Order: sequence, then C-alpha cells, then structure tokens
Amino acid sequence: MIPKERPFIEPDKFHDLEGVQKMLASCIQCGTCSGSCPNAFAMDVTPRTLWRMVLTGQKEAIFQTRTFILCSSCYSCTLRCPRGLPLTEAMSALKQIASREGLAPYKASTRFYKSFLDSVRRHGKVREGEMMTLYFLSMKNPLLPLQFAPLGLRLMLKGKVGAPFPTRGKRPLESLFNKVMQLENNP
Amino acid sequence: MSLTEQKIGKALVVGAGVGGIRAALDLAQSGYKVTLIEKEAYTGGILAKLDRQFPTDRCGMCKMLPTIERDAVSQHCLRRGLFHENIEILTGASLLALEGTPGHFSARIQENPRWVNADLCTGCGLCEQACPVEIKNPFNQHMGLCKAIHLPSPHAIPNSFVIDTAACTRCGACEKVCPTGAIRISWQDRERFRILVVDDELIVRSSLEAWLTKEAGFSAETAGSGEEALELLAKSSYQVMLLDIKMPGMDGMEVLAKAKEISPDTAVVMMTAYATVETAVEAMKIGALDYLVKPFDAESLLPKINSLYEALQLSTARKLDVGAVVLCGGVSYYDPSTGKDTFGFRSLKNVVTSLEFERILSSCGPFEGKLLRPDNLKPVRRVAFIQCVGSRDIGMNADFCSSACCAFAVKEARLAVEQSGGEAEAAVFYMDMRTYQKPLEVYCQQAQGQYGVRFVKSRVHSVIADKNNDCILRYPSPEDGSMQEESFDMVVLAVGQRPAKGARKLADMLELPVNKAGFFETLPFFCCQTEKPGIFVGGSFTGLKDINETLICASAAAQGASLAIHGAGGGLAPVARAVEPDPEALRAHPSVFVAVCTCGNRLGKVADEKALAQKLKYQPWVKEVRNFARICTRDGYNELVDVVKKSGANRLLLGTCLPHLHESRILALASALGVDRACVEVTDTFAPAGRDEQQGDKSPFPGSSEVLGTLLGGIARLKRARPHALPSMPVIRRALVIGGGIAGMTAALAIADHGFGVDLVEQTQKLGGNLCWIKRTIEGYETALLLEETLGRVEKHPLITVHTQARVLGATGSIGSLTSRVADNSGEHTICHGVCIVATGANEAPVEGFGYGLDSAVMTQKEWEIALAQNSQDASSLETVVFIQCAGCRRKDRNYCARVCCATTLKQALYLKEKNPSADVFVLYRDIMAYGQMESFYTQARRMGVIFIPYKKDCPPSVEKKDEGLFVSAFDPILQRDLCISADRVILAAGLAPELPAELAEGLGIQIDEHGFSKEAQFKWQPVESSTSGFFACGTVLGPRNISESIATAGAAAERALAVLSRESIVGGRISASVRPSLCSLCERCIEACPYGARALDEEKEKILVNPALCQGCGSCVTACPNGASVLEGYLREQMLETIDAAFA
Repeated sequence: MIPKERPFIEPDKFHDLEGVQKMLASCIQCGTCSGSCPNAFAMDVTPRTLWRMVLTGQKEAIFQTRTFILCSSCYSCTLRCPRGLPLTEAMSALKQIASREGLAPYKASTRFYKSFLDSVRRHGKVREGEMMTLYFLSMKNPLLPLQFAPLGLRLMLKGKVGAPFPTRGKRPLESLFNKVMQLENNP
Repeated sequence: MSLTEQKIGKALVVGAGVGGIRAALDLAQSGYKVTLIEKEAYTGGILAKLDRQFPTDRCGMCKMLPTIERDAVSQHCLRRGLFHENIEILTGASLLALEGTPGHFSARIQENPRWVNADLCTGCGLCEQACPVEIKNPFNQHMGLCKAIHLPSPHAIPNSFVIDTAACTRCGACEKVCPTGAIRISWQDRERFRILVVDDELIVRSSLEAWLTKEAGFSAETAGSGEEALELLAKSSYQVMLLDIKMPGMDGMEVLAKAKEISPDTAVVMMTAYATVETAVEAMKIGALDYLVKPFDAESLLPKINSLYEALQLSTARKLDVGAVVLCGGVSYYDPSTGKDTFGFRSLKNVVTSLEFERILSSCGPFEGKLLRPDNLKPVRRVAFIQCVGSRDIGMNADFCSSACCAFAVKEARLAVEQSGGEAEAAVFYMDMRTYQKPLEVYCQQAQGQYGVRFVKSRVHSVIADKNNDCILRYPSPEDGSMQEESFDMVVLAVGQRPAKGARKLADMLELPVNKAGFFETLPFFCCQTEKPGIFVGGSFTGLKDINETLICASAAAQGASLAIHGAGGGLAPVARAVEPDPEALRAHPSVFVAVCTCGNRLGKVADEKALAQKLKYQPWVKEVRNFARICTRDGYNELVDVVKKSGANRLLLGTCLPHLHESRILALASALGVDRACVEVTDTFAPAGRDEQQGDKSPFPGSSEVLGTLLGGIARLKRARPHALPSMPVIRRALVIGGGIAGMTAALAIADHGFGVDLVEQTQKLGGNLCWIKRTIEGYETALLLEETLGRVEKHPLITVHTQARVLGATGSIGSLTSRVADNSGEHTICHGVCIVATGANEAPVEGFGYGLDSAVMTQKEWEIALAQNSQDASSLETVVFIQCAGCRRKDRNYCARVCCATTLKQALYLKEKNPSADVFVLYRDIMAYGQMESFYTQARRMGVIFIPYKKDCPPSVEKKDEGLFVSAFDPILQRDLCISADRVILAAGLAPELPAELAEGLGIQIDEHGFSKEAQFKWQPVESSTSGFFACGTVLGPRNISESIATAGAAAERALAVLSRESIVGGRISASVRPSLCSLCERCIEACPYGARALDEEKEKILVNPALCQGCGSCVTACPNGASVLEGYLREQMLETIDAAFA
C-alpha cells in the first residue's frame, strides 16, 4: 500500500534518497543493469527492482535488501545503461546512507569497510591481519574469527597475508583523509 | 505533342527515394517541369531494397503512379524506374549550391563521372563476366558477392553498369569485352592528377607515395617540411596536398594558410593524430577540404582520394533555374558495430540488421529469397527481433524513437513465418510496441494470433554465440525480472534512423538549422517548411517517419513548392493534349516497317537473321525489314528515324530487348516520324530467344521460330491498330472542402491560393474544430496564434466561400464534374465542383469504466484541458494525479491506437510538475507511444519525476471511490506487488473517435474503414486519396494525428486535388475501353466488372457510358461482355487472336 508510505521521502534522516532519485529519474526499467551485473546472482532483488523501489520511494524496503551492498563497483551497468544513468554512483550513495545511519542489516559490511579504511589510514596500505583484528573487535562476536580461520590459513599458506612490518613515517595518508572529511562536512 | 514548352514553373527535387518520387510526380502532374536528382545510381532509395511493406505484405509502389493523364508516365513497376514526360532524372548527382529567391533560384548540380556511358551501355553483362574483382554486394547490404563492375540495382530500367572505382584494379578486362565501347577507364588520365605529400616522417611519406602511385595510379611527390612544400607549390601546380598538422618548424596550419595564398586551387587534406582532431576541424574552417585521422591504411585513404579525383577532375557541374526546391534526402541507418552495445553485430554471423534481413527475404537477395542462416545456410527455425537498437538511447545521442521499426519488425516476423511455411518461430523483444499507425494495432494482433509471433516486453541485454553459432539472448523476464537465456538461429536488429549522409553538409550549404540529432528543423506546425521560403523538406528527410508519413510529407512539401512557384509568377500552364489524328492517316493502307535490333551479333547467335528477314518481307503488310546493330544507342536511334522516314512506311515495329526501356521513347519516336502513338509497337525478341538457349537447344539457331513468332505477332497488332482521338472530359475547376477544422481550412487555403474557388462547409457555427479547445502543444507552441492567422486568411480570401451550420447531403457525378447538395439555414443548395476534400475530423472518444462518472475528480483529457484553459482548476494545488492511458482506444470496440493521447498526457504531466514540482504524478500505461521526437518529452517527464507504471490489457487498473477519497489500484510488474494510490485527480486518455457519419460517407460514395475513419485508397501508398476517384481526405478523419501531422495531410490532399484542378480537361489514356452500342445488350455485366467504377448506364439514351477519367484500361469489362461489345483500344479481339496465331505459326 503506497498511500501512507508516500510522500516519497520525508525530509528526515533519509534525505539523501532524494539525490539518488534524481540520479535515476529517467530510468525506463529496461533491466540492462540487472543483465550486466556480475553479482546479481547473489542479490535478493535485482538492480532494476531496486531502482524501482528508489523511484517509488519505498525507503524501508530499500534498506532491507542486500543489492546495493553487494555492488562491487565494476561499472558494467553504468557503461551499458541506455539512459546513461550513473548507476554505480547511485549504489555508492545508498551504501553511504546505510553506513552513516548505521543500519542494522548492513552492520557487518559497514564495519568491514571501516576496518579496511582504518588500516589504510594508519599505514597507507591495507594490512590484512590488522584489518581483520579491527573487524573482529568491532563485531564483538567471539565466534566470528573461527569462521574466517580456514580462509586465513589458506591465505597465509599462499603468502597472501604478510607479517606486519613497521610503517615508515607516521600516518602517511592522514592529510588526505582529513581533507576528504573536511570536504564531506562542508560540501 | 504535349505543350511542355508553355509550362512556366520548374522545380528541383533532391533525392529520388519514394519521397522524392512522390514530390516529383505531384509537381509534374500539376504541370510543372521537375528535375529529380539522386546521389545513387538508381532511384527508389531504401524502398528499392524492400520487397514487401506493411500492412499489405506486398509492394504497392506503383500505386503512386497517376490514375489520370496516364499516358504522361509509363505505367510499369516504379521500382524499375520512373518515366514522366515532365520529369528529368539525374542519377549520380548532388546539389552543390543554391542562390536566389523563391521563383528564381539558381542551382548548381554536380554530376559524378560515370565510367560506363549510360547512353551506350546495353546491359549485356559481358563486362561483369570478364571482371576479375569480387566485392561485397552493396545492394544486398554487403551480403553476397558481385563484381567491381556491377548493376547498381537488380531491377532498374534502363540498367547500365557501374564501377566501384575504389575496388577496381583498372585491369581493363571490361573495356576490352564491351561490345559498344561504353566503358572508359582512363588510367593515363590519373597520372595527370598530382598529389603532394607533406610529412616530417619518412616512413609516412614513402608509404603514402607508394599507395598513391603504385596502387592508385596517381602522381605523387613528397616534401619533408613546410618550407619545402611551399617551394614545390610555388614551382608547379598540384591538385591535392596531403598535409600533416604536427611538424617541427612550420606546422600544418601555417603551411595551409600560406599554401592557400600561393596556390588557392590546391585541395588540402589534413593528416592528424587523434589528439589534434580539433585542430583539423579548425583547419577546415580556413580552407582545408577534409582530414584523415592517423593511423590510416590504404583502404581508408584511397577511396577518399578517389572521390576527390572524381569530384575535382571528372565531375561536371550544370546550372539549373528553378522556382522552388524540395529536399527529400531520406535517412540513413545506425550501424550497431559503432555503438557501445553491438549485440554481436559484425562479430556473430547470424546477427543481421533489419535491412539485411529484408534483403535475405528478397528473391534477388543473397540467398535468393530463402530464409537461411548466414553461417551454415541451413533453414532458420527460430528468429529473434531486437527493437530500439540505436534508438531511444540517450547514451548514443538518440533521444528519439525511429517510429518505423516496430511496424518493420512485425512485418519481418510475419514474413519469416510465412516464407518458412510456418516452420519458423519469431519473437520480438521490445520496450514499447509502438503501434501508433492506424492499421498497425490490428496487424500486430494478427501477427500474434495467426502467425504465432511472440512479443516479449523486455530489453535484451546481450547476444552471445554458443559452439553451434546459435545466438544466445540474455534478457530479464517480463514476468518476474529474472534473467533468462534463450537460443535463436538468427537475430535481427531493428536499427534506428540517422540523418542521411551529407544532410549536414547540405544544411550548412543552405544555411538551414538542424536539430540535436542532426535532422532538418522545420517551422512550428508546418513540418515541411524551412526557415527559407521556397525551400521545402519533404519525405523522411526530417527523420523518423514511415512510408505513409513520408509520402504525406512529400506531397505537402510539393504543395509548398507549387505555391512558391505560383506566388512568384509561375503558373500552372494548361495542358492541351487532345490531338486529333490525321484523317488521311486513318484511311491509309497500313504499311509496316520492321526494325530488328541485332545487338551487335547477339541475335545472330540464336536466330538466323537472313532467313528471318526473308520470311518477314513476304508478309502482306510489311513495307521493309531492316536490321540495326543497336537501336538503344543514340546513333542507332537517329539512323532508325532517318531510314523509316525515307521508307514511307506509316507503322513501325521494333524488335529489341527490354521493351520497357523503349516505351519511354516511343512517344518521341512517333512524333519524330509524324505518326500516331498507336502506330509504333515494340516487341521483345531476346527474352524468348534466350529461353531456348537456356533450355539447352543445341541446334545452330535455337530461337529462330520464337523470334519470328513475336515479330509476326507485333505486325498483327500493328496492322489492326486504330489511331484514334483520346476521349476527354472537362474539369470544373472548383473544390468542395467538408469540415472547417485546421485541416479543412489549410486545404482550402492551399487550393484557393493557387487561384481556384473553394466552398468550405462547416456543420457548427464557427470554424476551428478541435483547435478551439486545444491551447498549447507539447512543444509549447500556442495554437491560438495559428488559429487566428488561419481564420483570418480564410475569411478574407476572395476565392473561399464559407458555409457555416451547413451539411453536405450527398454528391453525384465523378471526378472533374461533381454536384453536391448542401443544406444550411437558408435551405438546400447545389454546388458544382471538380474535387472534394473530406476533413470532418475526429473528437474525443467516449469512455466507460475507470471510475468515469463516479466523481468529478475523474475526468478525460479534453475536460481537463478545457478546465485548465478556463482557470477553473488550480494545477498547483494538486498533490497526486494519476493518468490512465488507453482508456478509450486499443480495446475491442475501438481497436486502434489514438496516437495523440500519450503526447497529451506527457504534456499535461509536465505541466503539473512545472506548476508543483513536489506533486506526485503517476502514468498508468500499456505502451507509451512517444514516437519520433516525442521521445524526448517522455525522457523529460521521467526526469521530472513522473512515475510510469505499465499495465497489461487484460489487467487494467481500477478506480474506486472511498470515504477518504479516490484510490487507483494497479499492479507494478517490477516490484511484483499491487500499488494503491490515493489520487486527487484521475485523468483518462480517452483517445479519438472519427466524426464521419455513415450517411455522409454514403452520400458522397466514399468508403469507411473498420474503425469508422475515412478509408484510404491504400494506407501506405495513397494516404490521402479515398477509394473513390476525385475524393480526398485529410486531418483526423483519416486517422488520429496531431496538429502538425493534420496540417501536412491537408497540404498533401490539396496537392493531389490540384493535380486534377490544374487542367481544363482530363484526357483519357490511349489504352482505354469503349462500347460498341450496336452490339451492346445493356446487360450491365461490365458495370459490375469494372474495378474503377468507370462505367454507368445512361437510361435515356440506352447506352453504357465509359468515363475516360476513371477507366484504367485493365480490360475486365472486355472479358465480362458476352457480346464483344466492350472493346479495349490496343487490345482488340482481332489483334489478340492474330498475335496468338502468329506465336504458334
């Protein structure tokens, strides 16, 4: 039932959705994006349906799907879209809303992203061991590391997870991160 | 014979596709001289390649030929060629420059060189056999092979060979075998074409030099720097300079500027790297002719230099004085291999474009009409059609719909099923099935029902091949959005339209604007008029049209051109043509001259020429028999005229190949000989002879008896020929226009402006029709201005008599002299007129259901439009508005698309969003018919946030009234859930229903189609003619259309009517039927048999009358007549029987 769910967006915490709607406005629901998406098999609703939800303003339904969080930013959909819409950017915009609002269904993903960036911020590159430690700590689930143990072992055997070397210099990307934060706060 | 010299007006038509042919025929029929120029070597344009067209699945191009004054044009297949005494056709020609004012233009025409002299070429084909170079056949869209010397189209007449100069190796093989010396490849002349190559890199210089000299045969010199180049230029002259832009020292731009001073005649072609393309474009502004982007190879360089060579050295320019110009340049088609979404085109063999598929279906196509897979030549069993390839794609700068592809694909799908004997399955993948043309909705339903064509509303994502080369299509299921994969033998891409090649250049030359997509811009409401008076755009040159609209626009443009010439003092000259035959000639004993063309020694190979002459000589009526080497050449023709004149014979029989070719010359030949046209006959001596040859008869002269038979038959027909005066009937030079809407008024004005009186009958109190309530178009044009101006002109025009509150009761008579009864307040009147234009229009269709009548908030588009105009509605106060499309049409009782309602909805939705951007606007639709440029408004509406929800025909949305207000429920197929929208206003797209009462149609004697609109004689080919001769229709009474489309039909109908009014009398055809009253028993069988309604019974005189204006000489009456009283001139019983006897002799 749309009647009480509309007007599409209430100017509250989801105000960014209006921006996403603008990005997608001329979408004709052709489904080329769904066809292009290499991750579509894992999504619960296809990108096309997600865009339809955005355009019809079903904010609650949108933030229960896994679709946008599974986007790996390969830009296939953007490239193929006959309307020339910035679909990958729209996916990122949804991710940002989910992350900023700390929405429950995306807890694991947003914390994973955050751990990744924290590690990058500290060392200028990702340190897998540290990133995973930060991630496990943030998730506060003692059983979680066990789930990742087999993968971690395999990666270590292949030499994909390096030992933590001391970083030369302190926080080489700090100024970059600060600048981005500054820009984000004062767009 | 005809008084063509008296004609004052002359027009130029650019482009000889169907649009150009239509415009040229229209102007020629109204008495103007027309020069029709065409870039290609054949006429017919795209239609030359399409064998069959929607909605009849047949070709009907010949229906464009005039039915009155038939003898002015040779009556045969228009795809083979056009011969009209007022039309001069120049192929391989283009418009170079145009100066002057309407009525007095001076045009410069460039004619490309022809390596094969068309006057000498007999089309024998020996050169083709000798040519060692095979190229991809351009006529078959580069499928299959042909030789470098080939026929440009398989069916044209006359059909002389052309050479693909870029592929030709100039081996000279064809030159040697040509029996008439028609081929002239001037290898030596090429050496005189000097090219200067300027580049700082040695490798570029030397390879260019090698290509230009060794491969192409030109002279080339090189220079390593700008300074060196300028020195060389100062010393001697060069025709072309290839100039690099980036060079150390003096750069290309500087060299160009200086070179233009030293040697202004040298054509400069810039060579540039991709990064400096912009500089090259700059260079073109200061005098460079063209540019090449590095790296390039010989294949891309040489054709360019070749065409430069032809244009600079060999082409000839001629000057023409014309009164008006009609541009009918047509369109080109999108090449999917250039886009980001190729759908496997060019990389997969079984993916073809719609045009290629059309050639595959054609019997002169690459597979001779068999529906075969291009990869393994096995029959096609499953074929998929993908729509909107290169259309409706913003990413490809195509924010438009190509309008014709939906009909095109449905037709091809039906043909595919039909040609495979029902074994092939066809599926059409579409975004919106735009069945907006009147017959298309039903045609589409037939495709689905009778032909089993599957329609899938889904955009195909990709096409890949499996190991068998089958095409796998990936698309989201229209049901639930899940990804589907399906395998097909063949995939057909519906490629979108693009501006014609050279359209931009033409626009720049004429200083006319083009729109974003590159199509010509026209004036508001007048889709054939450009900014410049005297220059009109006809046919599909403005883009995005099907054949029906193309022809309407061509005629409307012709009408504009006609008016421009007329207004500038040129007149429609009277054509007085009834020439009485000399009574002496009638009494004279027939003596036949038999001229046999031997075509070199070709005839001698199949028939014994001497024995033939001997046998013919002893025929009692034969005066002389003579062999000629080649009658088709100019020399041969002149010799023939001389010899026949000297012989004193009074009838002439020609035995030649290709009788069609000579038909166009017979008239001239007859007048040169001073005999009646009926006294000259052509027979085909080569076709029967060749047949025996093919059957493998090994005797020395296998064809002798057949050739003799045909010639004897010809003699038999000639000796019985009766020169006679052509019947004629006078024309009442007035028109009656029924309906005072914008179409009726426009048609009336167009006729009156040519100096003929018009009676305009309107049933209501005032003129204006639907324009009285439509205030604004979707483009934002105010209709009030148009209405005011048109009304003012109609009311002031001295030649227009307006009858308001009047009705036409009925008409009697036939084309040229009609009498109508009109009733108005003062009683009944009689009006005499020559033609009648029906423009009674259409009105909004009645609506049932969708909550109409439940609440005042549910209204139709018209009600809403009127309410807005009266300011009784505040659009900005509405929060939620729901539009429901197809509420009155595309249903059982009105099974057609009303075409205007989607545009109206878009207009109203955009208006609401403009007034209140936060309003929620929903459009519930089946297919949005935003054809042509309307697509951009659809995009705009989406951008503004209008939500479009598709619904299926069998699951329409419902409107309920509850205590809280109105609720619209619909199912969203993408979200897979029901939506319930509480709406402030529900606006229903009711569509249009015709306003043509059955009594009126019956009274006038015109036919109504199954939807109640006026029936066209032929939807595609005779779009404004009614099936009854002398009656035309325009505007919405023909079918739903918008204002500018209605105005175009009005122009077209007026132009066709003018073809009748422009003459004082209509002269019947040479071959027409008559009655011998002494044998006639008045059984009236012939009246029923006549398909043209040309016969009537005169009860007083007890005679059957034949109307010469209507009779088309088909001979149906002759076969129906039990007494032999009905006769067809030229096909008398004696003539036919003797011809048959001769054939068996």
